[in-house]
Amino acid sequence: MREEKQLRISHVGLRGVVGAGMTAAHVLDFASAFGTFLGSGPVVVARDPRASGRMILEGVLAGLAACGHDVVSLGIVSTPVLQHAIRRLDAAGGISIGASHNRAEWNALKFFGPRGVYLSTAEAGELLDVYHLRKFDFVEWSRLGTVREETGAIDPYLDELAGAFDLKALRRFKVVVDCCNGTSSLILRRLNERFGWNILLINERIEGVEFAHEPATNARTVSLQLAPLIRPLGADAGFLFDVDSDRVAIATDEGRALSEEMVLPMLADYLLPHGPGKLVITNLSTTALVDEVAEKNRGRVIRVPVGRQAAMDALQSYRPEQIAIAGEGSGAVMMPQFRFVYDGIASMLAILSMMLERGRKLSEIVAAYPAYSILKAELPLAAQRIPELMASLAERNASGRVNLLDGVRVDYPGKWFHVRVSQTEPIVRVIAEQRGEPPQDLFDGVMEHVRSYL
Amino acid sequence: MAREHLLKIGVSGIRGVVGGFLTPQLACAFAQAFGTYVRGGRVVVGRDTRSSGPMLQHAVTCGLLAAGCEVVDVGVLPTPTIQIFVNSTRARGGIALTASHNPPEYNALKLFNDRGLFFNHYERNELLDLYHESEFTEATNDEIRRVLSEYETPPRLHFERVLKHVDVEAIRRKRIRVGLDGVNGGGSVMSVRFLSEVLGCELHAISVDPTKPFPRVAEPRPDTLGELAALVARQGCAIGFGQDPDGDRLAVADETGRVLDNDDVLALVVDAALERVPGDVVVNLTTSSVIDDVAAKHGRRVYRTPVGEANVVETMQAVHAAIGGEGSNGGIIFPAVHLCRDSYTGMAFLLDRMAQTGLTVSQLAAGLPRYYRKLGKVAFEHGRLGIMMQALEDSFPDAPRDRSDGLKIHLPEGWIHVRASNTEPILRLAAEAKTESALEGLYGQVSSLLER
Repeated sequence: MREEKQLRISHVGLRGVVGAGMTAAHVLDFASAFGTFLGSGPVVVARDPRASGRMILEGVLAGLAACGHDVVSLGIVSTPVLQHAIRRLDAAGGISIGASHNRAEWNALKFFGPRGVYLSTAEAGELLDVYHLRKFDFVEWSRLGTVREETGAIDPYLDELAGAFDLKALRRFKVVVDCCNGTSSLILRRLNERFGWNILLINERIEGVEFAHEPATNARTVSLQLAPLIRPLGADAGFLFDVDSDRVAIATDEGRALSEEMVLPMLADYLLPHGPGKLVITNLSTTALVDEVAEKNRGRVIRVPVGRQAAMDALQSYRPEQIAIAGEGSGAVMMPQFRFVYDGIASMLAILSMMLERGRKLSEIVAAYPAYSILKAELPLAAQRIPELMASLAERNASGRVNLLDGVRVDYPGKWFHVRVSQTEPIVRVIAEQRGEPPQDLFDGVMEHVRSYL
Repeated sequence: MAREHLLKIGVSGIRGVVGGFLTPQLACAFAQAFGTYVRGGRVVVGRDTRSSGPMLQHAVTCGLLAAGCEVVDVGVLPTPTIQIFVNSTRARGGIALTASHNPPEYNALKLFNDRGLFFNHYERNELLDLYHESEFTEATNDEIRRVLSEYETPPRLHFERVLKHVDVEAIRRKRIRVGLDGVNGGGSVMSVRFLSEVLGCELHAISVDPTKPFPRVAEPRPDTLGELAALVARQGCAIGFGQDPDGDRLAVADETGRVLDNDDVLALVVDAALERVPGDVVVNLTTSSVIDDVAAKHGRRVYRTPVGEANVVETMQAVHAAIGGEGSNGGIIFPAVHLCRDSYTGMAFLLDRMAQTGLTVSQLAAGLPRYYRKLGKVAFEHGRLGIMMQALEDSFPDAPRDRSDGLKIHLPEGWIHVRASNTEPILRLAAEAKTESALEGLYGQVSSLLER
């Protein structure tokens, strides 16, 4: 059993197990650093339902107010709703408190700049410098920021979605959703109320301590409770969201749990013909099906290192209209019409729109794609042996197309593998994929080589 | 040049100028130390109306939750109301965010135990050690508890306790015309309710908007209550009350608009209390001898303590006193309500006295023995304090003295008390005598000795 790291402070923000790693002191310092780093102007704050979120929220409010920022506190809402509110309120930035797909004992701070975009790597580096210096721009007593609570942030967000999707036409579908006790429940309840939808919600109770199951978006979690419900209920589709609703996983009308890798290729296939964007931005570990789909639609795939930060930096290298879609194999997908925000709810609406437009069942749409088989594993490895491992892997696979942007990725005809180091845990991730049957020989060979460095 | 104490972390808690000194980090860490010290459980948090209050309350709430405490937010309230609420609920402690009578740029954390009392000397030292050790309880997600709000109950509980000790109907029948200066403080809303609705007074109030800044020097003294005096005179009020921002201190104006000496206010309240409750009296060393005369009239004893509410309260507990307080700063402590300074007890007792006797405030004050008092201060350089105090001791070789807090020297014509301030490098002088000329002689002798 490997020991998980309990605190991680990086360009992605602050993340840890509350109490064991992440403390009130970290929160105060990070919020004060962000308040110092940001220019003047209001800051929007939201949290997911974790019990520790209330403690963290109080620290965030204190740090921001001490730096003279007025704060709009949205309460418990999803990260995409927060990002929408930052833009709507023309705020200087925002902080999302929540650990997304991690277990309940984790929590994290994520930072957004104006218009709700994640900080670039350069900005995040500056924030980290302020945090480490601990020289904060506290204002004098008469200029402290004030906190205003705003409870209705979901409605304007839904209004924007209503402008992009035909919510009236889409409500014909019978949909079941596993909310993982998270924020999607609040949004979808409101969608039902305001737009006459009839989505059936499970695990819809907002829960701070114990989620019904691990809130990760993948085929395994979908098959726990959601997939078995689909056929008995005669539903057209099932969706599962992580706690902060930025990721989605899917069950078909036949009750089959789809691989999380399928969300991006399906949405690329739907959005590329709508144009004008022709670029699909994804990471080196995402399925090759996305290349096949892009080729069919005359699009181009840009592969970047794994992690949100690399994707954000890549997005800034292109004009928005050049991009069709960006995302990863985890079910996190962003579309240009939604401010380039990872948004699980918008992804769900796009999948339903695809079903409507094609007049096909979800299982029929899925069946039209060639099968890809993916094998994944993770191994603990001493940090000092990693460069040696990577160099030897690249050398042994010189006959393939070698990419060293993020660990080692090697492409062979019809199959590929990727070995990289996790950004959040002290492990090496191995992933191999092949069109058709599982790439067992390739995978075993790589695993054997990696193990020889343990 | 005397160093200003912009931040003080000590046995009485943490106090400082908000901005670069009293930071949210410090407030959060101190609250987490407090939460660790009281071992989780329910902690009540309230504040006065300073602009830094909400920011610091977020920081304190963060620290308490991180220590595994359940937080009860009582919002803006007077400090005594918060203490009484802590005492009447099953809370493990309380924190009031208030710098009491200090200027608006200051704030502080006042800490209370499970009985709603200031921590005693030993508890304060333990907490301070814990803070410095920084080994706090760090609650995990399943140990982090809720934040509850309770805005209605605390004032009601406070009123109930006070009203048990006065004849409410008699006061209401008189429909006394009362002036109030609430300094836009934590008692603003509550005092209006107390005086006009509960006690049926005809109220003329100024500075009772808790959203506005303090309109005057926050400490209620004769020289800071000019507006109250004018209000009382203009409206023909029978009495005027001046509060501090956290509603623990009280100053009083008579029907002519003259603001009474705070020692006389205490004396009137002690007199009223001893009429109703038997017991001894505890005051600090600087409080006027008028208290001794009043206590003697009732056949009661007066105990003297070092300056500071906590010191007075500790002795009051030990001797089961009926009433106590600190004269010069307008603090009235009546344990039958609660062992804390409470302006509401003072207001109720004085109105009750007026209703019972039919006398005016100036007539009541005129009934007190007359003493002449003078307060002042002398700056000193670090390292010189011992020499100065020794010189003072040597110049009155045969007089009885009390060294429990600085030096108090008793002379046939009166007394002089000299003590170093806890917060600034100054000596505070207080002198009292039976005649004005004796006072001037005594004060002049001591101050010239110290300034030499």
